[in-house]
Amino acid sequence: MPAPPALDLSNLPDADVVALAQKGRDTAFRELIRRYERPVFSLIYRMVRDRELAEDLAQDTFIKVMNHIDRYRPEFKLSSWLFKIANNVAIDHLRRRQLNTISMDGSPHAVTQDSIEATSFDVTVKQESALEEMESKELGTAIERAIAHLRPEYRSCIMLRHVEGRSYEEIATTLDLPLGTVKTYIHRARHELRKELEHLRDE
Amino acid sequence: MNHRHLLPDEIDLLLDDEVGFGVQPLKAHLEECDECRARVEEARFVVDALEDIPHFAPSHRFSEKVLAQVPVFVPWHVTARDTALRWLPQSRPARIAVAALATSTASLMTVVILWIATQSSVVAVATGAAGDQMVRGLLYNAGHEVLATVFGDQVFRVIQQTGSLGIAAALLGLVAAAGGSIAGLRALAAASSRRRV
Repeated sequence: MPAPPALDLSNLPDADVVALAQKGRDTAFRELIRRYERPVFSLIYRMVRDRELAEDLAQDTFIKVMNHIDRYRPEFKLSSWLFKIANNVAIDHLRRRQLNTISMDGSPHAVTQDSIEATSFDVTVKQESALEEMESKELGTAIERAIAHLRPEYRSCIMLRHVEGRSYEEIATTLDLPLGTVKTYIHRARHELRKELEHLRDE
Repeated sequence: MNHRHLLPDEIDLLLDDEVGFGVQPLKAHLEECDECRARVEEARFVVDALEDIPHFAPSHRFSEKVLAQVPVFVPWHVTARDTALRWLPQSRPARIAVAALATSTASLMTVVILWIATQSSVVAVATGAAGDQMVRGLLYNAGHEVLATVFGDQVFRVIQQTGSLGIAAALLGLVAAAGGSIAGLRALAAASSRRRV
């Protein structure tokens, strides 16, 4: 006798898988992770540009969603809920890192050149090596770099629009932004990317 | 020819593949204006490049790491069902054999109870040690009431009169009813799972 159909969750819609997760089905949790680990990780990775950190933040995202799975409302798309939390987690981290960037030039208490050098650090080296590791094609490399140069709020909007294929309305709901703001961010992001990629198109 | 060049918002409409009354004149303008066409192609190049970028995969142990930190609360009825399913055999013939065995056992026990209840002498022996006529009468009457309520007074009387033959007929009826119920439940479950998938 074949395995009961309930165990094969790959064909079920998200709402049904969530309903099973709410009943404590371990396989339903696994299925939700399988479906969304790549989109969520990619969004966060492109926000923070650090693989290890992105994985930690993606884990935090899934843990938050799964710990509150009983609060999920079916009228809201699960993916939108996940992206909303992923974006918030990434933005929170970037804000904290921005506060910490004061110390990148060395401790404010350092008085000699040696102590300044000893207490300073450079995040660019790590970011670039992570980029090189994953990017192979010239255009791919260029577009990843161009995305990295965008403001974080433009970045999440443009990723949701063109990588995840979300409508403007969905992005506005997901990111808690007015529709007009989303349109403006996407327009500006496209403009900035166009400027950065101009040289590739001319070749 | 419309000499007004496309505004940035209008280029966005074309990039988003919007449809509607407002878009048709923009497309018509593009066919006539090399400058606007070049701007749209330039913008389209970026959008196409964005749409081609791949998803990244986290490490292969990602799901394990997440699940290790999520306490999965399993309700008792789900645990009970899963445990029962684990005990059931996977193959269809084995499941049928188990169902038949369970039905036979249940039927046998029912028959034994019926027989005890209909044999006033057994009740009398069982309660004889106490020597209490009233208790015996009460037990017999209670058994009679239960059987008459469940199966009807006529059936009770027939079983009492026909003895072992009546009991065999009751057993057959019970097996048929149990088989019908199992078949019905299976059909319902199959229909329900088809609807869900």
